[in-house]
Amino acid sequence: MPEIRVTPLGAGQDVGRSCILVSISGKNVMLDCGMHMGYNDDRRFPDFSYITQSGRLTDFLDCVIISHFHLDHCGALPYFSEMVGYDGPIYMTHPTQAICPILLEDYRKIAVDKKGEANFFTSQMIKDCMKKVVAVHLHQTVQVDDELEIKAYYAGHVLGAAMFQIKVGSESVVYTGDYNMTPDRHLGAAWIDKCRPNLLITESTYATTIRDSKRCRERDFLKKVHETVERGGKVLIPVFALGRAQELCILLETFWERMNLKVPIYFSTGLTEKANHYYKLFITWTNQKIRKTFVQRNMFEFKHIKAFDRTFADNPGPMVVFATPGMLHAGQSLQIFRKWAGNEKNMVIMPGYCVQGTVGHKILSGQRKLEMEGRQVLEVKMQVEYMSFSAHADAKGIMQLVGQAEPESVLLVHGEAKKMEFLRQKIEQEFRVSCYMPANGETVTLPTSPSIPVGISLGLLKREMVQGLLPEAKKPRLLHGTLVMKDSSFRLVSSEQALKELGLAEHQLRFTCRVHLQDTRKEQETALRVYSHLKSTLKDHCVQHLPDGSVTVESILIQAAAHSEDPGTKVLLVSWTYQDEELGSFLTALLKNGLPQAPS
Amino acid sequence: MDPECSKLLPALCAVLADPRQLVADDTCLEKLLDWFKTVMETESSLHLLQDHPCLMELLSHVLKTQDVSPRVLSFVLRLVGIFAAQEDCFQYLQQGELLLGLFGETGALSWTAWNMPSVRSGWIQGLCSLAHHPSALHFLADSGAVDTIFALQGDPSLFVASAASQLLVHILALAMQGGASGSPISEAAAWPICAQKIVNHVEESLHSKATPQVTQALNVLTTTFGRCHSPWTGVLWGRLSPPVACLFERDPIPAVHSLMDLLLSVARSHVLNFAACGLWEMLAQTLSRLSPTQAGPLALGTLKLQHCPQELRTQAFGVLLQPLACILKATTQAPGPPGLLDGTAGSSLTVDALLSSKSACVGLLCQTLAHLEELQMLPQCPCPWPQVPLLGATVTILRLCDGSVDPSSSMGGRLCGTLGGCVRVQRAALDFLGTLSQGTSPLELVLEVFAVLLKTLESPESSPTVLKKAFQATLRWLQNSHKTPNCSDLSPDALLFLGELFPILQKRLCSPCWEVRDSALEFLTHLIRHWGGQADFREALHSSEVPTLARQLLQDPESYVRASAVGTAGQLSSRGLQATSASPENPLAQQGLLMDLMHILSTDSEGFPRRAVLRVFTEWLRDGHADVIRDTEWFVATVLQAVSRDLDWEVRMQGLELAQVFLIQAMGQPSLHCPYTVGLPEATSPRPHPEFLQTLCRLPLFEFAFCALLDCDRPVAQKACDLLLFLRDKTTHCSGPQEAGDSPNSASVEAVLQRWREGEQGQPLGDLEPEAMLAILRSLDLEGLQGKLAKSSDHVEKSPQSLLQDMLATVGILEENEADCY
Repeated sequence: MPEIRVTPLGAGQDVGRSCILVSISGKNVMLDCGMHMGYNDDRRFPDFSYITQSGRLTDFLDCVIISHFHLDHCGALPYFSEMVGYDGPIYMTHPTQAICPILLEDYRKIAVDKKGEANFFTSQMIKDCMKKVVAVHLHQTVQVDDELEIKAYYAGHVLGAAMFQIKVGSESVVYTGDYNMTPDRHLGAAWIDKCRPNLLITESTYATTIRDSKRCRERDFLKKVHETVERGGKVLIPVFALGRAQELCILLETFWERMNLKVPIYFSTGLTEKANHYYKLFITWTNQKIRKTFVQRNMFEFKHIKAFDRTFADNPGPMVVFATPGMLHAGQSLQIFRKWAGNEKNMVIMPGYCVQGTVGHKILSGQRKLEMEGRQVLEVKMQVEYMSFSAHADAKGIMQLVGQAEPESVLLVHGEAKKMEFLRQKIEQEFRVSCYMPANGETVTLPTSPSIPVGISLGLLKREMVQGLLPEAKKPRLLHGTLVMKDSSFRLVSSEQALKELGLAEHQLRFTCRVHLQDTRKEQETALRVYSHLKSTLKDHCVQHLPDGSVTVESILIQAAAHSEDPGTKVLLVSWTYQDEELGSFLTALLKNGLPQAPS
Repeated sequence: MDPECSKLLPALCAVLADPRQLVADDTCLEKLLDWFKTVMETESSLHLLQDHPCLMELLSHVLKTQDVSPRVLSFVLRLVGIFAAQEDCFQYLQQGELLLGLFGETGALSWTAWNMPSVRSGWIQGLCSLAHHPSALHFLADSGAVDTIFALQGDPSLFVASAASQLLVHILALAMQGGASGSPISEAAAWPICAQKIVNHVEESLHSKATPQVTQALNVLTTTFGRCHSPWTGVLWGRLSPPVACLFERDPIPAVHSLMDLLLSVARSHVLNFAACGLWEMLAQTLSRLSPTQAGPLALGTLKLQHCPQELRTQAFGVLLQPLACILKATTQAPGPPGLLDGTAGSSLTVDALLSSKSACVGLLCQTLAHLEELQMLPQCPCPWPQVPLLGATVTILRLCDGSVDPSSSMGGRLCGTLGGCVRVQRAALDFLGTLSQGTSPLELVLEVFAVLLKTLESPESSPTVLKKAFQATLRWLQNSHKTPNCSDLSPDALLFLGELFPILQKRLCSPCWEVRDSALEFLTHLIRHWGGQADFREALHSSEVPTLARQLLQDPESYVRASAVGTAGQLSSRGLQATSASPENPLAQQGLLMDLMHILSTDSEGFPRRAVLRVFTEWLRDGHADVIRDTEWFVATVLQAVSRDLDWEVRMQGLELAQVFLIQAMGQPSLHCPYTVGLPEATSPRPHPEFLQTLCRLPLFEFAFCALLDCDRPVAQKACDLLLFLRDKTTHCSGPQEAGDSPNSASVEAVLQRWREGEQGQPLGDLEPEAMLAILRSLDLEGLQGKLAKSSDHVEKSPQSLLQDMLATVGILEENEADCY
């Protein structure tokens, strides 16, 4: 029995790190290879030992697909390919291929910087891993091998994010990765065609939430930054090298331009140029507005945002600084934070979530006296703001996507169990499809009914045409014929042709059915009664009473016989060829209802 | 447990017991368990429980109400396991009926949350921690836990099922450890009850018709023989080998993977008498019964065994060679050279596998090539190694992939169709080809290897991953094949090959794929490193455009390529092989490269090329490169000036590395701080010339290192600290033991130190005199700083106290921020 099997190694009822194994018609695919930022040991990576048990990784897995550049979706990739030993192809979109190594490098530097970790993957490993990547275009069908094909669809969320359709023969799975069904300032909304996959694996981060408009959050952000610099304060925005940072840069740049503000904005890592380069390169991946205005003005060329120098942090007066890393756990952003934290005029805006064990997490949980090295205490007087700019589909968006793709069943990942449960019920009710939500390590198995392509002979088609039944597009039609399976191919031909081709003689096959009638008369009389009844009922058919006492209706033969044990019962033997199956069944049913009472 | 944590613990326990409070995330609870485990390593868990009644209250609360979240339930089960690992604490918890209440049939098993895999996993992990003493064993037997573990072996969660099997092995080992305290028990019937129960269950499962149950039993046995090496394992195998042998009689053989793992695990055991237990026969039978694809891993595993009959090794090696033998047979014109496994039968299965479908053929070949590659690098590699036919077969496979084989049979024709353009097989074959370079091969075959490599490198069809592997294989063949008596030199054939290779390399350096340009540059750098000094190589390189193209790639749009180009250009220059018409006698061209690299260092927007420049510069300084020694002071000053402003901490750190090389060259190696050298005279450490100290101030190397002490990136500060310690050690005798305050410029020194203490960095120190520098060096507590910097920069945030504070701080605010992600 063909089946699809799905086992999450990560993202099963959690949002830690995505890594989902899909087996479809014997092909094994790994969807995302993410890392958990909350751990500092091997627990940060998915437990790959469950795959290595099945033999060599490269032999077992047909490919790895990465949906987008966030580390919880690609952070374990260099570990997996260069340290665990996967040597096969890795698929991702062009922007993801370009941006992924920057974030991996950024994270590596932080990990090594923070803790002097020696057994972490190296720059060379990141590069070698990226060399195994095969970049794909949107809507391009890519043949991984003769049987397995994949296709990317636009997912919004971040630059280059994609949903992937994985197809083997007639069976298919769609994996959404993270997606956003509403366009934002620089990206469009996710879209997929009515591909009717056997299974849709969708994220469910905001499974129970209807999110407010991102515009409101953007207005709020600008208001807070503006108010702070107006009163002479400094604003620190800790970010990761690429992604959210560029989105916020566009926001501030446009606002500064509109309001004619002169307060300096700095970006600490010198990555603006690189971001510029990529956003220019991948302009087709941004939203329509950016594409349209690109000719007059490139949104990613920032007039007001300048490169940061370490000495600027001590400068008097207001300023806005984007600094890495995003969770205030090392490096530049933490150093600036320490300098500015004591002044209540200043503000730190955390635009993303922070894991436990970081200063970012502490200040977001409201801690205002932070212990520093050497038992020193840092009093945080500056304002602390949290603004989630994460771009995921909310409950409405997820339902919209399910409606759009029309899957046979749905599987939820990348969310919390409780919220998933709510959404699962909603999906099952509304779309009448099965919805699953496996935990990490649990396998969902879906039986599938593969559609088998069959060739039809011209003769058979012509015969159908002669009967006046012209084929209608998009409407299924029933066609009778003989199925010939030869040389791994299937053909439907007329029975005559099949006999001829296979050199077989024709045999007549008749079905016989017994119908018991309560009738004390003799057999001949019963037969006569049957004849009269059928003659009056079946006016359009040729009903005959033969000399031997039997009755025929077309090719159907009816004979009456006495019951061996009960003389008051007569047995009618109704027999027909398989071509007259319909009429035979009808007659049997008719006779079972009994004969009309004879006039006394 | 430190007092700070003790103070926070009651509040935390109250939060965990309160179902209305959400626990931040799983990582916090995991880290909390890590911390408890660390505490338990040095403290008595009984005392800990008695000193912290809040812990018992939490446990009792969970036992009574179970109204907390599944993740807290799972946490509590695991925590109790950690406590009960110590026998006295186990007794204490047992008295309170807590253990039975949590792990017994009326405990976790009856909770609604039992259907959550995390709770079942917590139950297993708790028991696994707990099972460390005889009392635990009795508890497991009496509580019915073992039966539950049997059931959990078939859990829908892979993690739970696997943990259950591991736990069974753990319990079995513990039971036998206790039971085997006297003489070895030769009769399984006399084993402890718990062990008997497990063994009976395994035996029953082996007889089962259901494959999953057989698999579970086999996995338990595999882990047992892998972990336990006591004599009782021999008795166990004696009892269970007959049902295992019966599995081979079934058709199809169930759980083939697990069965093979078991046989290999048993064969690796040191305690069994294999000849007596019939293992070799079983292995031989299995090898002959399985399909080629299934038998491959078993054959490799057999060949890896330390002690194994030669006959079995030959059979196993035959299994690995068979697919390549078929390839040779299908493509060689009769009567041809000697092939692999001539005259042996039994290849029909392999032929079937190769011809049945494309995926079967590709899978079998890739697996075989990878196994043979692994085998060749092992000490157990079979001898004699059939180098020639294997090389022939590998070259043939590559030719089948590139379509250049003229098939001599119908099978050859079909293989051509199947393997044509198959990247997977090409990659595997190139890997193996590279490894085969270690053997000795006849010249004509080496020439064939070079030919097929050239074809692969030249082919427009070759994918970037194939090209990378082809470059790697080429390098290995150039290094290893057909060496001349002067073993570092290239052979004449290799030189001829290079003549053909360079034009291809030229083309690849211009590839539109950055991956290809980069692999080509990496390959070129290796070539120059190995043979850059050899006249013939230099001539071949010079007659090509390769050096010029490599130099042009310094401006490549891709930063990875720019970084590799910097490395290549550095190597070319070191060997006097620079691009353009330049020669070692043309210093202008050299100077041009130095300035180009300086330009990259100060302007490139990305870290990789800047880091690469510093690696080249440090090497140049170390090796006394002509451009550097022409004006070393200017060179170091310019580099440090550029580096001090760099935003990439790895660039700054490499700047310090370069500074250290400079210091060592001028002042000698650092003195060894070894207790045994205390009494030795410091004759090797010359006193630095006063002018050199002036230089350090002028460069300004000292200022760079001094400011870097406060660098926000810890490795930089650490490196700077080491550098200044070195400098201080070397200058100890430079001036008298005068106090900083006695120095004429004491005010300026104090001002510098004051600014430094306040954390201001980046401010120039001004014109510093050597005396002031020495005074600052003496005033700094560099050893203290070194100790601080040795810790991770987030050690405060990662401390247990910080963890407890964070968990408490998140109470009540979780709803507001919700679980968020990117």
